[in-house]
Amino acid sequence: MNRIEQALAGLQEKKEKAFITYITAGLPDYGKTKAIIKAQEQAGTDIIELGIPFSDPVADGPVIQAASYDAILGGATLEKTFTCMKELRQEGVKLPIVFMMYYNTVLHYGMTAFAEKCRACGVDGLIIPDLPFEEQEELQNALDESNAKAEQETILIQLVSPVSKNRVPMILENARGFVYCVSSMGVTGQEASFHREVMGYLANVKEISKIPVMMGFGIRTAEDVAPMKDVIDGAIVGTHFINLMREHAFSPEAAAEYCSTFKRELNAL
Amino acid sequence: MNKKAYYGEFGGQYVAESLMNTLEELDRAFEEAIHDPAFMEEYHRYLRQYVGRETPLYLAERLSEKYGTKIYLKREDLNHTGAHKINNVIGQILLAKRMGKKKVIAETGAGQHGVATATGAALFDMECTVYMGKEDIERQKLNVMRMEMLGAKVVSVESGSNTLKDATNEAIRTWAKTAEDTFYVIGSAVGPYPYPKMVKEFQSVISKEAKRQHMEVEGRNPDVVMACVGGGSNSIGMFAEFIEEKDVELIGVEAAGLGIETGKHASAMALGEPGVLHGMRSYLLQDTDGNIQLAHSISAGLDYPGVGPEHAYLRDSGRATYVSITDKEAMDALLELCKLEGIIPAIESAHAVAYAMKKAKEMTKDMSMIVCLSGRGDKDVNTISDYLAGKGYLN
Repeated sequence: MNRIEQALAGLQEKKEKAFITYITAGLPDYGKTKAIIKAQEQAGTDIIELGIPFSDPVADGPVIQAASYDAILGGATLEKTFTCMKELRQEGVKLPIVFMMYYNTVLHYGMTAFAEKCRACGVDGLIIPDLPFEEQEELQNALDESNAKAEQETILIQLVSPVSKNRVPMILENARGFVYCVSSMGVTGQEASFHREVMGYLANVKEISKIPVMMGFGIRTAEDVAPMKDVIDGAIVGTHFINLMREHAFSPEAAAEYCSTFKRELNAL
Repeated sequence: MNKKAYYGEFGGQYVAESLMNTLEELDRAFEEAIHDPAFMEEYHRYLRQYVGRETPLYLAERLSEKYGTKIYLKREDLNHTGAHKINNVIGQILLAKRMGKKKVIAETGAGQHGVATATGAALFDMECTVYMGKEDIERQKLNVMRMEMLGAKVVSVESGSNTLKDATNEAIRTWAKTAEDTFYVIGSAVGPYPYPKMVKEFQSVISKEAKRQHMEVEGRNPDVVMACVGGGSNSIGMFAEFIEEKDVELIGVEAAGLGIETGKHASAMALGEPGVLHGMRSYLLQDTDGNIQLAHSISAGLDYPGVGPEHAYLRDSGRATYVSITDKEAMDALLELCKLEGIIPAIESAHAVAYAMKKAKEMTKDMSMIVCLSGRGDKDVNTISDYLAGKGYLN
């Protein structure tokens, strides 16, 4: 059993699309991180990606790089983020939460200890942009072993890109939760200039995928995904959300306002 | 797991999904090229006529006499652009051309790889962008000017520590965006597979020549082969042909900076812990949270928190030994080589020379060692003069 899969099944029944946001853990501090997550749950955000700060975030553009850097300077760590997760679950937060992180952080923590801790703290999924399909075996084995011990599972989320092409069937064969479709080449947070072949690419992924297809990279408003509404099951907003949070001094109210608007407009498309 | 991408447990391809097909395409093109006699002939023709190979294997007479064993210097400092870096750049740019790419990008720390890439790009008429940390741009103004004269665009990287590691991150980000028409020329034996293999292939010319040259003079293999190690390109090139010659002792010399015990060093293998950075799994300097630590060395070329995966494997398998030399030991050796042999070595190479002086004490006068003199010290004159004036150095 997995919270992501349960939540997405519920949305499919209601014929709704999923709205997913990204925030960097511990930015500006863990108190705010918790408040923003709680406000978003109330506002109808379906899944939250929680970024674990890393010194060398190669898959991220300047905004998330800076967020990561500031969070590290503010003392954010994986261990503290686990504590934050545990508290959120104890305080009744039920929405699925996915860690977005780099592989070195996992290796440093220790594969088995990491998998166990994720499950114990209620981390539902992992997105690791520098861990392509071919390198996942070691972590997948550790997760399988840990997941066998309890009811709530931590799953690996697969990413595909506009140039994945022949790799898509292999990547999706045993994929769980949702597919993270990167809309453009390169890093997070570029202008909403999606890859020129984005429509064909998304349609192809949608056709192959047995699980919901989400699009991320460069999205700001529900309107941005209007052209592809028939081939995606949801949208992920990261960089724009970080910018918005910074502009509003990390106000939970501003987060709630943005999320409820996006979610409403997304389902009205 | 792609087994061939690994050296023992090190190496691999830890990159974004969007680069996996690019790496596959690169691997295929590279394997085809090195098995194509016409490609290799063209590569060697440029090495002869443009780079100025072969480079001499010089018996450093006064140095040998003073330290009581035969010390041969493999003179990579005599290459065009002043270091071994050009060997690899010519190979990679010829490959880029063969693959139909029109643009190249590169990262650089001290600027040597940037200059070599800008040189190759000018020679083969390609658009060239070099990523360089803001700090490094300030301390290596001369090389920045060289790259610009050669027609390259130098992009100042202002993220993280503003040095080589961050320039590499930025080059990887740009590559992920533009891989469809851009070739990333990596300068060291690092990065995702096939880069470590490719850099070794194009640097192995160093040991192919040196082995034959030593055989011609001594009628046998050397007892010891030694080279400095940052990411590990000159050392893997210097080791390549000797790895299977089990009677030859291989020694890699890392930078101990102010001393391993001070924490201000660049010896990834002295205290490093395996991890993943820049697309590879290898030894890395990390802090207690698993963030990458800054490396410290007076030599910008050794100032890197990781090391190539094959070196990590050679260390763990016991085939090669890795030691470290402090800033002070390297500078003393540099000055001594100037006075004894009339050769101003790069500070990087001086690390290998410094350890050669120590190692010589265990050797007899009939034994011999080859030290890779990877580059010349002209680029380091400002650093050397600041060091001598007791001003320390920017790092």
